[in-house]
Amino acid sequence: MPNYKLVYFPGRGRAEVSRLIFKAAGVPFEDVRINTANGEWPGETKAKCPFGQMPVLFVDDKVLAQSKAIGRYLAREFNLAGKTNWDQARADMILDQFEDIGTEIYKFMFEKDAAKKAELSEKFNSETLPRHLGYLENLLKENNGGTGFFVGDSLTWADLALANAYDHLGGTDAPFANSPLLAGLIKRIRATPSVAEWISTRPQTPF
Amino acid sequence: MPTYKITYFNFRGRAELARLIFAAAGVPYEDLRIEMSRWPVEYKDQCPFGQLPLLEVDGKVLAQSKTIARYLAREFNLAGKDSREQALADMILDHYADIMNEMKVLWLESDAEKKATLLQKFKTETLSKHLGYLETILRQNSGGGGFIVGDSLTWADLMVVDSNDWLGVMFPNPYDNFPLLAGLVKRVREMPQVAEWIAKRPDTPR
Repeated sequence: MPNYKLVYFPGRGRAEVSRLIFKAAGVPFEDVRINTANGEWPGETKAKCPFGQMPVLFVDDKVLAQSKAIGRYLAREFNLAGKTNWDQARADMILDQFEDIGTEIYKFMFEKDAAKKAELSEKFNSETLPRHLGYLENLLKENNGGTGFFVGDSLTWADLALANAYDHLGGTDAPFANSPLLAGLIKRIRATPSVAEWISTRPQTPF
Repeated sequence: MPTYKITYFNFRGRAELARLIFAAAGVPYEDLRIEMSRWPVEYKDQCPFGQLPLLEVDGKVLAQSKTIARYLAREFNLAGKDSREQALADMILDHYADIMNEMKVLWLESDAEKKATLLQKFKTETLSKHLGYLETILRQNSGGGGFIVGDSLTWADLMVVDSNDWLGVMFPNPYDNFPLLAGLVKRVREMPQVAEWIAKRPDTPR
């Protein structure tokens, strides 16, 4: 087994899906958290990053960048990507959708004008997010009624991404009030022993 | 061989990488380009996320342009020879997506003068840095005179070719200061099946 080292800021952010993949797969890894406050970032770390950004994954001495590429690589290595090329594509599609939702959140997350931020946030919560969750609820339903997993009949990283989105969307059931199948899947995944243990023991961070 | 269909607008846009993959692989497909007036009414309901492009494989649908391209690349052995090569190609794809997202913000600027200033700043500061990272990755692959990942054509090389077109919409000759990338674009565009597609594809503004 290679030596895995995941390097990111002290937060869930763009590294948490990969951490969940390691935990669900039961594979040990070095969970390196780099601080901006004391000069650790950029420090010597930035130069090691192919695009000057984190997260990066070291597999022995080889580096990979881009959070989704890292997640997909790990998911494939640990048989959490999907059993066929088609299933893998269905999982990728769901991950792309979460990325799109994230992009919408970033539009107002860093908005400095308070009034504009409130307006964008309201639009997101009342229109954009429900629309995106509606699509995902339909996709889940298409998979044998939606009481199992997102893709096929076993856990994939698409399920872990959903469980992770729960935290990014505020950590409450509220956003999923009209998406009972998604809510059910989130509950099942977060209750899986390896995931539950990680969620309760991981560092508590604001992002 | 399954029946393939790509549905998109009459642009290169978010479908062109998939079209280049079909061309490079020599695999036939239906290249459906719909008029804006027929969207959304006629097609939106078929789309898992209400958006195009859409890939149909024997009638089963896939959405999301990056996923579509990756699926096809894997089917046609253009994804990379092992898991690490596939990850490197994915990494390059995500980097181009980041560049495109940053450019979209500039595109939306309505004040013409402000837009011109922003574009110039983006080109000399941001884009230059982003493309520099890719030039380095290419150089690190056996000196950069071959392909960007591994030692044979992958969809990562087609991403570079495609980017030359979409970057070129706002920034003509985007790889002028990046000799290895420029060389790769030239080599791949001259490969027979790619050259044939580029010559015969509809000529669209983007």
